[in-house]
Amino acid sequence: MKSKSKVKKYLRYSLLIVLTLIFLLPVFFMVISSFMSTKEVSEMLNFNTGEFTSFKLIPGDFSLEQYYRVFFRNPQYLKEFWNSVLITFPTVICQLIVSSLAAFAFGKLKFPGRDKIFFVYMILLILPIQVTLVPSYFMYQKIDLLNNVMSIILPGTFSAFGICLLRQNVRYISDASIEAARVDGASYFKIFFRIILPQIRGGLISLALLTFVDTWGVIEQPLIYFTDRSKYPLSVSLSAGSADTQIIFACGVMFMIPALLIYFLGEKDLRSSFTRI
Amino acid sequence: MKFEKKQAVWAYIFLLPSLIGIAIFYVIPYLMCIYNSFMGTGGFAGFDNYIAIFKNRAFLYALRNTMIFTLIAIPSLMIISFLIAKFMNSFKKISAFFRSAYLMPIVIPAASLIYIWQLLFDDQGTINGILNFFGIDNIHFFSSGFSMVMIILIYIWKNCGFCVILFTAGLANLPNSVHESAHLEGAGGFTTTVKITLPLITPTTFFVFLMALINSFRMFRESFSLFGTYPNENVYFLQNFINNNYNNFNYSQLSSSAIVMSLIFIGIMLAFFMYERKADYME
Repeated sequence: MKSKSKVKKYLRYSLLIVLTLIFLLPVFFMVISSFMSTKEVSEMLNFNTGEFTSFKLIPGDFSLEQYYRVFFRNPQYLKEFWNSVLITFPTVICQLIVSSLAAFAFGKLKFPGRDKIFFVYMILLILPIQVTLVPSYFMYQKIDLLNNVMSIILPGTFSAFGICLLRQNVRYISDASIEAARVDGASYFKIFFRIILPQIRGGLISLALLTFVDTWGVIEQPLIYFTDRSKYPLSVSLSAGSADTQIIFACGVMFMIPALLIYFLGEKDLRSSFTRI
Repeated sequence: MKFEKKQAVWAYIFLLPSLIGIAIFYVIPYLMCIYNSFMGTGGFAGFDNYIAIFKNRAFLYALRNTMIFTLIAIPSLMIISFLIAKFMNSFKKISAFFRSAYLMPIVIPAASLIYIWQLLFDDQGTINGILNFFGIDNIHFFSSGFSMVMIILIYIWKNCGFCVILFTAGLANLPNSVHESAHLEGAGGFTTTVKITLPLITPTTFFVFLMALINSFRMFRESFSLFGTYPNENVYFLQNFINNNYNNFNYSQLSSSAIVMSLIFIGIMLAFFMYERKADYME
């Protein structure tokens, strides 16, 4: 009896480890490959050798050549990295402000038409980006926003997703604390800053993280709105095949580092804020 | 509902930035899209564009593939995540490391990993190497029906951790007594799950579904990175159809197919909504 439960225990732990490996290994190999020499990368990515490719747990030829080339030989990638930053950070900040204000209204205030408006938001939530992409293109053409980062920042700012997410968090705040503040004569702005914002901190961090990742990986919009290739963010050139394959892994690592950093900072809040859904 | 005038005014003030933005960047483009879908080169065209796309083979392929992807990938993702969440919850103590590891894929941008997928799935890739070792024929992930399988696998890999977190949270909120009493009455693990756990976590399930649906649109990024503008017919999605029509300046067809696409997703969501009255997204 005892040995049977021990076997079961080992099986359970092995399953846990296998699952974890499935999720981690692709990322792990990506980092490993970034330390290969460009020659080794070319060999690895040559699919015409007649042999099957295999992943290497350690680079055969450890070198920082890829990173050297990314940082010192091809300023293009740093420039594109900066383009990504210029698009992503304003989007995240503006989205947080707009969404938290609206979430307060939807979550705690009573006003005519509230549920109907929210229903429209829910519909817009599942509207695929491709539907509005081209009509927006013509609109931006008229108001001269093409080739302008604003054409990505503004729609990103006003996404319905953030509002739905934060609204759930706002609803968990007790009505009593808001009532008490109102009896004391606090204005709605004061309630928003003093009561609502501190209590939805976890939700704000989760939203920041998810918006960051989404905007950082943006592909569709720049492809259509930007005719000026020098404005492309790194996500586009990495996926449109224009990047130099010899240094692709170092580029990829450089590209995912900001997302990972933000993830490690906010990951705890991401996990805890969803217990309220 | 009785409204306090002052409160209602303030509510609209808080809502105003969002209302204006949503109207300009989503509602107006969507209405423009509807308008364009009824216009041809010679003015008002009625349903001609719609009839035309339903006679268009490329569109039908795109529609079929998008439906297959949505109807297979989303339920699979939800079931797998639920099972993993239950599995994770069955440990008395589990290091936060594991949950963090599962969540990692969602923060890795699509563009970073293309070559890893290529190494894995190519005709001469690692998976085929392993299959070959066991004497199994090559699977052509990049040029056969297995392209869809590959895209679905990547989609599940990417979104699974996030859905696991959502499910784990939903499961953790259930009172323990629920399971105990079910167990005392002799219900087995499967019965308890289907009859008791699932109905109790419906709000969570709804949210997971919503996230899975939204994230399924983002799979175009992976598809585009792996297959480029002209993928094989098995992974030619509505997004590709729309993009290619944009490149060919065929805006009428583009608009009508975009409207069809949005109606499908709205339909799927409303169906789930009806089924899902308990979720407190709408009172």
